[in-house]
Amino acid sequence: MARPHIEPYVELDKPYKKFDLPGFKGSEYKVLSLDVDTGACTLKIRLKNGYKRKPGLSYSDMEVFVLEGRVKVGSEVWTRGHYAFVPAGMALAAMSAPQGAEILLMFNDSEPSYTESDRDHSLALTAASTSLNSYADAPWVPGNIVQPAASAGVMIKILHYDPLTEAISFLYCMTPEFMQDNISYHDCCEESYHIWGTSWMMQFGELPTGGYFWRPPYINHGAFRCPQGTIAFGRTDSKIHNYFHFNPWSSQAENTQRAAAMLYRQRPMLFDWVAGDGHNHPHGPPDFEHSHYHDDAQVRHLHNHAPKPLRSGKN
Amino acid sequence: MSKRVQDIKPRRPKAALAWLQENIAEQQQRYKAIVKEMDTLAPARAKWYQEFLHTIQTRGFNVTGDMRRKITKAELPRQPKRKDRVVF
Repeated sequence: MARPHIEPYVELDKPYKKFDLPGFKGSEYKVLSLDVDTGACTLKIRLKNGYKRKPGLSYSDMEVFVLEGRVKVGSEVWTRGHYAFVPAGMALAAMSAPQGAEILLMFNDSEPSYTESDRDHSLALTAASTSLNSYADAPWVPGNIVQPAASAGVMIKILHYDPLTEAISFLYCMTPEFMQDNISYHDCCEESYHIWGTSWMMQFGELPTGGYFWRPPYINHGAFRCPQGTIAFGRTDSKIHNYFHFNPWSSQAENTQRAAAMLYRQRPMLFDWVAGDGHNHPHGPPDFEHSHYHDDAQVRHLHNHAPKPLRSGKN
Repeated sequence: MSKRVQDIKPRRPKAALAWLQENIAEQQQRYKAIVKEMDTLAPARAKWYQEFLHTIQTRGFNVTGDMRRKITKAELPRQPKRKDRVVF
């Protein structure tokens, strides 16, 4: 069932737990959401004063967002607003937090893992690596990156983009007195953590600083209000499309059917082909441009397929 | 493009399995608490729905961006008899 619908969840008054898994000793954690099948998760981590670990890699794609403090990673110093995408198998340099730090830590494919190594795994796709300070090194752009679009007053910084699934990780803000009078849902899962500020959605009420959600596809959210402004970190697990409407009582199943009906009307040939006899490809049809996309962990994750088993002699 | 590193991931260690089981159980409790909290919000939410239906008839409904359209009374949805649900 992947991750359940966690919305809204405010973690600030919840206690940290001691983190004893290898690579995390000297830190504490809170689970924000967790995939019950794969172990993929979003954690808030407190690296205690003096935390350090040796260079190492994870067998999962990993994302890091620094909320507070300073984290030394090799020769880099990650401060507030630093974002990193670390592909599975890519070795991170030795880490330390002499004065402590708070970070969001996301494992996209499996539970937290760490293997000591000062070299990248031979199969690591290191070209996908990203490391930047999102506050200082990325510009705000209008939030209308897709159509239909959010109202003016949403600004966004895209931090990571997956070319196969169009999943994005981003920083976003809502200006003071932002309002949007529609109800939205998407085909993708959507996740957000409020770094600062309170926003309001008609279904869930106020989401304050420290507020979090993991929302599965086709679930109503909005109308929206944000009287005093908000800055937040967000992610999707695949391409985002805004389906807007004004029926507050529609269910997740009805929203899914409405999205399929729009596909039927707007991309009729594709709909007919996919729905046609003989075109039932449970692992996806062939793609001459991305011929190996069936093996991609994120793509398989989206379709509830386990990672491919090791094929002897081919890896 | 392929992410083959995950394909050769070692078996999940016992400590990781125990961590997972513990946190899945706690997440189930969190989920139940959220559902309960959202149920208690139902009376306020019902008012918000009515205010929203009024707003889209007067100020308008955001079709895309800041483009608004006033919704006529005839277009308004009817509330179904089932219990309204916001957490799935």
